[in-house]
Amino acid sequence: MTQRFTRVAAILMATTAGFAAHAQDSVTIVLSEELENVEPCMASKSNIGRVILQNVSETLTELVPGTGLEPRLAESWEDMGNGTWRFNLREGVTFSDGTAFDAGDVVFSLERNKSDKFVCEIGAKYYGGMTLTTNVIDDTTIEITSDPAQPILPLLMSTLTVLPSEANPDAFVDQPIGTGPYTFDEYNRGENIKLSVRDDYWGEAPTIKNATYLFRSESAVRAAMVEAGEADIAPNIAVQDATNEATDYSYPNSETVYMRLETATPPLDDVRVRQALNYAVDKEAFVGTILANGTLLATGMVPPSTIGYNTDLQPYPYDLEKAKALLEEAKADGVPVDTEILVIGRLENYANVTETMEALVAMWQDAGFNVTLNMVETAEWNEYYSKPFVEGKGPIMVNAQHDNANGDPVFSMFFKYASDGVQSGISDPKLDEMIAAATAATGDEREALWKDTFAYIFNDVVADVFLWHMVGFTRVSDKLDFEPTIRTNSELQLSQIKFK
Amino acid sequence: MLSFLGKRAVASAISLIGLVILVFFLSRLTGDPTNLYLPVDASLESRERFREINGLNDPLIVQFFRYAGDLIRFDFGMSVRRGEPALDAVLRAFQWTLWLALITMTLVTVAAIVVGSLAAFRVGGIFDRIATFFSLIGASAPDFWIAIVAIVVFSVSLGWVPTSGTGTVWHWILPVSVLFIRPFGLILQVVRGSMISTLSSAYVKTARAKGVRNRPIIFVHALRNAMLPVITVIGDQAAGLLNGAVIVETIFGFPGVGKLMIDSILQRDFTVVLAAIFVTAVAIFLMNILIDIFYAVLDPRIRY
Repeated sequence: MTQRFTRVAAILMATTAGFAAHAQDSVTIVLSEELENVEPCMASKSNIGRVILQNVSETLTELVPGTGLEPRLAESWEDMGNGTWRFNLREGVTFSDGTAFDAGDVVFSLERNKSDKFVCEIGAKYYGGMTLTTNVIDDTTIEITSDPAQPILPLLMSTLTVLPSEANPDAFVDQPIGTGPYTFDEYNRGENIKLSVRDDYWGEAPTIKNATYLFRSESAVRAAMVEAGEADIAPNIAVQDATNEATDYSYPNSETVYMRLETATPPLDDVRVRQALNYAVDKEAFVGTILANGTLLATGMVPPSTIGYNTDLQPYPYDLEKAKALLEEAKADGVPVDTEILVIGRLENYANVTETMEALVAMWQDAGFNVTLNMVETAEWNEYYSKPFVEGKGPIMVNAQHDNANGDPVFSMFFKYASDGVQSGISDPKLDEMIAAATAATGDEREALWKDTFAYIFNDVVADVFLWHMVGFTRVSDKLDFEPTIRTNSELQLSQIKFK
Repeated sequence: MLSFLGKRAVASAISLIGLVILVFFLSRLTGDPTNLYLPVDASLESRERFREINGLNDPLIVQFFRYAGDLIRFDFGMSVRRGEPALDAVLRAFQWTLWLALITMTLVTVAAIVVGSLAAFRVGGIFDRIATFFSLIGASAPDFWIAIVAIVVFSVSLGWVPTSGTGTVWHWILPVSVLFIRPFGLILQVVRGSMISTLSSAYVKTARAKGVRNRPIIFVHALRNAMLPVITVIGDQAAGLLNGAVIVETIFGFPGVGKLMIDSILQRDFTVVLAAIFVTAVAIFLMNILIDIFYAVLDPRIRY
């Protein structure tokens, strides 16, 4: 009996050895939600991107924080004029199934991205409103022409994940094959994903040989897993769980929070009213209280690391008297400032969003605005945020959080400010021209034009209530040499992780 | 009995058809999934393409008959988000939920019957007071709080069990323990109440007068008669677990059907919602039939 008990105990003890110990060449990463699919053309979704992007599937170019656009599968590129760019592809690259990478795979990936059999998020997000045609010069040279011309086509190519032309053109793949340093080994739905390093990767061999991804939606549990040694990296933990300075990294997460105003509806059609909304908010009071320390006050739609970000602009100071005076002035001119304004917030959009919205509404009420808060689910919120806008509910302000980690304002500005932009609350021909000009420009001229555009939106049009550039928190095991960056919001390159 | 089972099966099938129709139209009332599937920056052209590919531009009644036609062939459709058959996703998740419910309810039933019966034997005694005190705490404590505290204490501080997930027998300890507490408290109280009533009946007094020992009186004579209301409550609690223990599944990263269903509702992944509701409804119908059979086994007066 004693012997049997000892044997059972030994077996049970043996099974426990796995939950806190890791080999020195392996990492476990705990993500905030299970991946719905592992399709590379959906890698713009943050959790899919953190597994797939640059680990399994690579892109032609790569945006590196602090450095700019770098070669990846394309070694170089040049502008051939008339919207055509030539990309010189890297030689000797193979997919994880052993097939060679060539220009045909780029053509296939571009076409699949806009398939009429299923919808790819990367295609829908980055390649809408343009037609791309390709011309394969040889196996390692391809010309891509965009109509209308895209001066940032090389930057756009940092979003295109390349699949082998043998992949299923009509449906999601469930076993992605890529050129990246890791092979996608298995996906045990609901439990884990496993990657392992390739020994025939074209680039430098990574330190990390094996990676396991787990999924826990509760932030406190993700943080506890790193603390207990069950996981090594937990991206996207809540501010209240980031309690350990030694392991919890705070970094700008590329999200900008703002209030989108529908400027066609009175009283929001009056610039003084929009200025008053900005002056009435004590933005600094939120930082370090209900928003994390390190949160920056915003003057534009994109984070400060984006080209053309206008550092000359200063946030609207909190000035309640000025807000009241502007409202009085507008009222004297017949603007219906007493009209009820509906404020729409999105539940669980970011940490403490409800508290934030309640505080904002209280501040506007102090200034004399007649505002009512309505917190709604994502689907309902989207009906307020995207065109066609909800009608018959009077003036509306929508609280939104916008992510742009791609380094260029073009990924934001048309959608948010052009007259035809899906989420634009403004229709201003001059602004349309400025966006078009900046989009078409290159180099220093492009940077200058975006700067001017930001200044026009902020000072002259006062299109929004500009609030904050947010920060995120990632808990990293103290045995790892890895520091999250603004890109950690959308990708997590295993090859950048080292052991101390 | 066979005619009873046949009637129950027909009634269940009719209810199931009604449920599918109701859920189909109610889920569509929540709106168009396009805006949730695609990023807010997606172009209008992409949105239109998504609707066309997924048949969302067709009139609702056309969508329903298309769905019903597929369902007759037991084809629940593809999950838009997962890119896999909806039924595959549901059955995979349901296995976890079934095991979780089975293990938890087995432990709960055994523990609640033993402790409840002993507590009822000496009402107001020290054992009864302790059992009642802890069962009331268990029945009223919130799951999510107990779960987080259990992780902090037993996983992070003591390191005895994993925080969450699956893989070894140790991974089941915290989720099952947290799930155990509430139904244990509730069923224990029902067992205790039912046993107090049964133990005061004439036949138990007669047995005592004849000198029958306490253990056979409690566990042989009284318990069987006290079990009918207990089985009803056990069935009710088990049905709740079969629907998915959403909070426990969420916190412990258990890939069960409750979390899948909630996620699918929030994401408007209609095919998965319908498949999940269909599978859990079938399981609950089957369980109710089993409970009816148990009634007949325990009480010879009940005949169908």
